[in-house]
Amino acid sequence: MTMSRPAAQASPPGSAPFRSPRAGRLPLAAVALCSIGAALAALALPLALGSAVDTLVTRGEIPWPELRLCAALTAAEVLLDAVVALLGGTVTATRTARLRTTLADRLVHAEPRHGQAVAPGDLTTRITANAAEAAAVPVAAATAAATVLVPLGAVVALFLIDLWPAAALLAGAPFLIALLRTLVRRTADASADYQREQSLIAARTTEVLDGIDTVRAARTAAHEHTRITEPLTRLSAHGRLTWQILGRATGASALLLPLLTVLVLGVAGLRMSAGAISVGELLAVSRYTVLAVGLGVLTGALSTISRGRAAARRLDPLLGLSAVPHRSLELPPGGPGRVELRDVDVVRDGKRLLRGVSLTVPGGTSMAVVGRSGSGKSLLAAVAGRLTDPEAGTVTLDGVRLDGVDPVRLREEVTFAFARPALLGTTVGDTIAFGAGRPSGERVRSAARDASADGFIALLPLGYRTPLERAPLSGGECQRLGLARAFARTGRLLILDDATSSLDTVTEHRVQRALARRAGAGTRIVVAHRVSTAADADAVVWLENGMVRATGPHAVLWDDPDYRAVFHAARPTAPTAPGGPGAVGAAGERAAGPVSGSAGSGAAGVGDGVRSMRSGGGERERDPGPVSGRAPTRAYGAPGQADGTATAGPDQGRTAGPLARPSRPGPGREAR
Amino acid sequence: MTPEHTTVTAPAAVPPGAGPAGAGEPSVPPPVPPPGTAFGRVVREARPYLRARTRVIALLGGWSLLEFAQTFLGGFAVARAIDSGFLDGAPATGLLWLAVAAVAALPAAVATRGVFAGLADLVEPLRDGLVRRAVARAIGTALTGPTAATTGSVSQITHQSEIARDGWAGLVLSLRSFVFTAAGALAGMAVLAPRLLLVTLPPLLLGLGLFLATLAPMAARQRAYLTADEAFAAHAGQTAAALRDIAAAGAAGRVVAEAGALAGEQAVQARSLARWAAVRIVALAVCGQLPPLLLLLAAPWLMRHGLTSGALVGAFTYLTYSLAPAVHALLGVLGTAAGRLVVVLDRFTGPAPLPPPPPGRAFVPPRTARPVAELRAVTFAYGPGARPVLDRLDLTVPSDGHLAVVGPSGSGKSTLAAVLAGVVPPTGGEVRWLGLATDALEPTAVRTLLPQRPFVFTGTLRENLRYLRPGARDREIAATVAAIGLDALAERLGGVDAPFDPGLLSQGERQLIALGRAHLTTAPLLILDEATSHLDPAAEALAESALAARAGALVVIAHRLTSAARAERVLVMDGADTVCGTPAELPARSALYRDLAGHWSHDPG
Repeated sequence: MTMSRPAAQASPPGSAPFRSPRAGRLPLAAVALCSIGAALAALALPLALGSAVDTLVTRGEIPWPELRLCAALTAAEVLLDAVVALLGGTVTATRTARLRTTLADRLVHAEPRHGQAVAPGDLTTRITANAAEAAAVPVAAATAAATVLVPLGAVVALFLIDLWPAAALLAGAPFLIALLRTLVRRTADASADYQREQSLIAARTTEVLDGIDTVRAARTAAHEHTRITEPLTRLSAHGRLTWQILGRATGASALLLPLLTVLVLGVAGLRMSAGAISVGELLAVSRYTVLAVGLGVLTGALSTISRGRAAARRLDPLLGLSAVPHRSLELPPGGPGRVELRDVDVVRDGKRLLRGVSLTVPGGTSMAVVGRSGSGKSLLAAVAGRLTDPEAGTVTLDGVRLDGVDPVRLREEVTFAFARPALLGTTVGDTIAFGAGRPSGERVRSAARDASADGFIALLPLGYRTPLERAPLSGGECQRLGLARAFARTGRLLILDDATSSLDTVTEHRVQRALARRAGAGTRIVVAHRVSTAADADAVVWLENGMVRATGPHAVLWDDPDYRAVFHAARPTAPTAPGGPGAVGAAGERAAGPVSGSAGSGAAGVGDGVRSMRSGGGERERDPGPVSGRAPTRAYGAPGQADGTATAGPDQGRTAGPLARPSRPGPGREAR
Repeated sequence: MTPEHTTVTAPAAVPPGAGPAGAGEPSVPPPVPPPGTAFGRVVREARPYLRARTRVIALLGGWSLLEFAQTFLGGFAVARAIDSGFLDGAPATGLLWLAVAAVAALPAAVATRGVFAGLADLVEPLRDGLVRRAVARAIGTALTGPTAATTGSVSQITHQSEIARDGWAGLVLSLRSFVFTAAGALAGMAVLAPRLLLVTLPPLLLGLGLFLATLAPMAARQRAYLTADEAFAAHAGQTAAALRDIAAAGAAGRVVAEAGALAGEQAVQARSLARWAAVRIVALAVCGQLPPLLLLLAAPWLMRHGLTSGALVGAFTYLTYSLAPAVHALLGVLGTAAGRLVVVLDRFTGPAPLPPPPPGRAFVPPRTARPVAELRAVTFAYGPGARPVLDRLDLTVPSDGHLAVVGPSGSGKSTLAAVLAGVVPPTGGEVRWLGLATDALEPTAVRTLLPQRPFVFTGTLRENLRYLRPGARDREIAATVAAIGLDALAERLGGVDAPFDPGLLSQGERQLIALGRAHLTTAPLLILDEATSHLDPAAEALAESALAARAGALVVIAHRLTSAARAERVLVMDGADTVCGTPAELPARSALYRDLAGHWSHDPG
């Protein structure tokens, strides 16, 4: 298979740090120079204008030299400002795009758990808004000097013209500001009330949208609309209050400049009467007063910079992510897919979640991973396919260490399906084809058939070409698309992490049969909660507290009451699950780490009518609740069944042998 | 299918109106924006809104007259202070004139408050209307669309309506300020020396014209920029939520390439915006900075015609002190916030139809011996080319029957429930209730449909239980609580009248509340669409028996085979193939039923 390397891979990610200081330095210097130039022109203009007026008043003819100077200064200010806007905007645009692309690159090439340490919403904010804020800092900093220059220069110019108006300004400004502040009575902040009513409307909307099936059936849409928008009257009242408060503050500050100008002009007028300054200078004084008050603009520039700095600090952890390292090793062509874990330790948040796990899955066989919730099943699946790297120990595929293989190459050989797949791409067909080495249309369709997804895809308005956002998918249908995505590639290792939990038993059996037909194609590792899945596998690895309790065929392990108890406990009569469904899902997601195992799920039913959004929509199904606990599994593998499984004896006997490799002596490690 | 709809228009509160039908359609394409430019659509809907508020606008103008006076006196007093005061050897007169300017500024504080009060009257109703519309659209889209885009809807209700509110307020403020400041300055110059206008007016108009000419292309760039920004943000949001799957699928390269392309497109638009920003600065200069230069040039001529030194300084004050900042503020707002405002407002344009509420007193059909519901050769497909989910299905539900429907997922059970309940019309064949065509009857009077995902809202248990029958008596509610097995939950919540947060309930408890609701209704047909899926078998048995004991027919889309075993008849569905029979005879007749029985007995769930 030829591999088309995506362009983004051309420069190895992680090797080029984002902050390349030289790039963009020249335009930034130009921005700084131009903005300073424009500021100087703006500062010189009132003086030039004043002297032109003086010439006019005294001689009564067009003051050509001064006029030319004024025109030149005006032109310089305008053009330099235009250049600053153009260059600054362009530089910021380019930097924003580069920063965002770099962030996306770092994020998707790193081990997923690093990005998942941040909630998706927060992550999105960082890539979009924070990146834009951070990218705006250099230009804001480059123009900051000019922003300071104008008001300071205006004060200096005032002093140059005459001491007294300048003194009046410096003395009057603080006094007036203090006086005006007393006018603005402190009023309780209405914005908190405003936001409370607003979130009430949002919360009611969310509730109604969540229960939209009932609203549709009971025809209560208009009633719900009235109920949701009922807080609007209060919202409006609070909104009016905020305008009132704003009006009071604005009204007071609107007085500052006129009063200050009158004060300064009064002093300047008296000085003019005394013959100390001219008419033109008086005009200049009035203009400089306005410019000097513009010091307030500075706070805006400073807040842009400080906000940008804060944003940049939020980006640092993401920019510091390094891509999953590798040594460009190649897997032996045509290998059977033999997986070997040796002394694997995984530590997350200071906890050892996998401890000294060693096991071998011979090529072409299937291995079920069972254990209670939190025993490390999903983590084991993630390590076996290198979605995450262990802290200690080695994982090999056909004798080659996974951390040596180019990840892009690896993804063509190792495929995953999850309990709650995030569906990417544009259409239903595209989401199945999504990923390394785009499979053909024929392969996509055959994968959908194997995943029992072709049936509901045929019911969609445009079949495979139905856009994802227009496809009404239940949790089980999402799962089947996720399975199809994995099936669409003929890798040598297929890892199913609870990937059939939302399917009803009949459909699951159809998928299992299709999988069995593909058996020769590669090795399968299946995280399972159901007895039937474990019984179908060639061998079972039984995890307990992150350690291998035992390995062997299901039929053999079944004799151990502890092993049977695993399947009873997998469906506990769960305690009350507080917090909204979303909260439960989110918490579970994070706790489950990089592979977001959905321990304790398994909404196996006749139907999976729960609608879900495109990614992670099945969260609600994960909330078993106090009354939803399923009855303890009745003995699927009860004696008779176990015998039935054992009839596959010879084959299993062969594969079971090399499977068990207890690496270290441990209590209750081996139950054979 | 309901022919009547309710259309929500921006300021009014849900007036009834006619709209295209579509409430019950299974999938409807996303609303296509009406023809015309975004600006045109917004203006079309803004016009009646503004017309209804001419009084507020007039009041706003009245308050703004004070600003006019302030501007006028500002320049005029300076001119007088110089001519008849400081340059005339009478500094006291000069100070007096300046004091006039200061006093003229004082009412500005009061005026600003008045302006903001008027502003509130112009802005708050807009936000109210936008929120009403956004809520109506969220509900309408969820009712008709395949996926409930909660995030987008809530963002429109909270975030985008606020952008519109702030943008609209900014536009009103700066436009009003410009109009009255410009009028004050022009009036002042006219009083000082009418010829001043000959010099200052042309560049002002030229600059404004120049700017207005750039407004349309600039707004288009602004829209393109925002669209590109949102496209990137949407992609980023998807990426952030799918890091594991991207890694597992080996799709990092594709994702980065897509992100890079979207970010690049956004940068292109941003650079184009920067070019227009430069153009805007030039237009601004023509407006604000050219007039003083022209004034210098024309001053000797003006002075020959009687322009005094003070009037000259007064004119400069008008130009640089009043007019330039107002122009600057207006063009700034028009160039940035206004573009955003149009883009955001355009998302709210177009009708937001809602199906009307059922009539207050519905025609309650008499209980007859006729079957409560019949399907006659009913066919249903999601699209013209799609394979039918139901294919010429015949089914009769007797008036006191108990029917269970079983089959694997995707076999059409939920579709059957929806068709039977009249929520979606069949694409072929006919549904009859009590021997009548469905559109002759009010659906909620005939049937109660309980979906798998229940709707429980913040409130008391009593309010929630009364949802489908607001008139239910306390005695009936108490009986229902006992019959359905809600007593434990009611006790935990602190009684039926204690408000609770549905977020603290499990899915099973929510379903139990919905079942209680159904128990209270009097409709002759009750359809449970996997409405007990989160209950344990014992709770399910209790609730189902209570509902079966209720007068009328019960149709259960079964989640477990135990539920089917309780029914009189069972319909086994596998795609368009169906078998109907009693629970006893079905194992012999349906291989699928045997299959389901086998697996279900092994794996309860």
